[in-house]
Amino acid sequence: MKNNDQLLRPAVGPSVPAIPSVERRLFMRQLGLVSASTAAFLASCTREPLVDPQTGKRQARLGAEVLPDGTVDLGSGDIGISNLAYTLDQLETAFYATALQRAMNVTPEDRKVLAELHDHEVAHREFFKTFLGGMAIPMLDFDFSSVDFSNRNSVFDAAQQFENVGVAAFNGTGPLIHDVEVLKIAGKMVSIEARHATLARHMIAPKTPFALSHELVDAQGRDWHLTPGEVVARAQKYIKQKISIANLPTY
Amino acid sequence: MNLFNILSEIEQRDAEAYEKFTVSRRKLFKTTAVAAAGSTGLLAATLNKAFAADGDVADVLNFALLLEYLEAEFYAIGLNTPGLIPANDRNVFAKIGEHERQHVDFLRSALGGSAIPKPTFDFTAGGRFPTAFSNYGTFLVLSQAFEDLGVRAYKGQAPRLKGNRDVLLAALKIHSVEARHAGEVRLIRGLRVWTSEQETGGAPAAVYMGESPTMQWTVDLPPVVGPKLVQREGNVGQTVERVVREAYDEPLTKEQVLAIAGPFVRG
Repeated sequence: MKNNDQLLRPAVGPSVPAIPSVERRLFMRQLGLVSASTAAFLASCTREPLVDPQTGKRQARLGAEVLPDGTVDLGSGDIGISNLAYTLDQLETAFYATALQRAMNVTPEDRKVLAELHDHEVAHREFFKTFLGGMAIPMLDFDFSSVDFSNRNSVFDAAQQFENVGVAAFNGTGPLIHDVEVLKIAGKMVSIEARHATLARHMIAPKTPFALSHELVDAQGRDWHLTPGEVVARAQKYIKQKISIANLPTY
Repeated sequence: MNLFNILSEIEQRDAEAYEKFTVSRRKLFKTTAVAAAGSTGLLAATLNKAFAADGDVADVLNFALLLEYLEAEFYAIGLNTPGLIPANDRNVFAKIGEHERQHVDFLRSALGGSAIPKPTFDFTAGGRFPTAFSNYGTFLVLSQAFEDLGVRAYKGQAPRLKGNRDVLLAALKIHSVEARHAGEVRLIRGLRVWTSEQETGGAPAAVYMGESPTMQWTVDLPPVVGPKLVQREGNVGQTVERVVREAYDEPLTKEQVLAIAGPFVRG
């Protein structure tokens, strides 16, 4: 089988030359990430060994790369986690842009809400794009053919699903974050995703507990969370490129 | 009332409770598996282990517990006041109140013997909101203020929990539920779902102080965000700056939160 080769390949992606940390820092500077705190963040990343002596797994917090078969590897450490959030923000932005073009039987108020949600996701997406610079994944291509744009309720239902995956993704990756500044940024975004999810459900069933129901909030009054693998499992069908989280940190 | 005194008392008590607790917990693990019955107990046991090694965690959780006590009691009184909450909105507040009670239960069981007792609350804040439970509009303003304050409070504490994955995860998962509550209450009020300094909806201004930066960490957002927005659909108020400030919720420090919550705590 043609794919055997890929299946047998270790899940760490192509080998990366071990660049000494000073040289690597200079390399990162050249990517345009020169502001003081970003440089400090990247410098802190380089304290990690490139390869874990026990597992042999690549440890360095390096950026995204497109593998020879077109798979998009999100990178490792905080950069990998940021690229996962960037993936979801790209997905949501593209979804709302598509909805604004294709949604039928929507009211002017519906369109206003879709535009506002779109614009907030842009504000998140552009943060990651700028922040990650040369470490960022490329712009992805999306496929929303499984979404029914012919009526407003199915559009807002898709919206609430994307937003809820966003909430669960931020919650699930928060504890895996290494740099406290990245954790702070994630915290500022996750509650916006939760507000979006509430608004999207409100558009379907206004002023009801629908936006707070048990499939979203567990019996201890807490949100569900998703691991990076579970996030990709839910998002992949809308993304044309295959997403690899092989180098993301795990629980 | 003097909340800061209460809390410093708590901190002193904490130190003693912490000693006792470490001993009693050891005993507990030796003698019984009762604490592990039910998922709350199981996770609570994990969290107990986490914070026994770290006084900071107990401090954060007790701070969260104070706010959850406040919210839980606020909704319990509201739901028990005949004629306050219209029939249409009762289900929403019953659900929010249930979540707040669950948060209290969860934090109390996680803290075990170190949990602070429930203080007495004054929801008029010393007369500032005399109609807290007699005017639905006032009740809604306070609900919004408590929920948005809760979001900012948890957010501000997340960095202090970074050393404990289990505790941080639990706190993050409560944090986003508070944001869902805040969104729901704002929608009931017919307000925008997002916060900014510019639109307080009648809540104390301090709740939204510092909510409007347009620079996030190293990134000045308006220049990179502006060109990519749609901002159309007849939404004249939708400036680039508003998009940016509404797209990020900002944290508050424990001291900032206590200064706002303080007037509602009698002691």
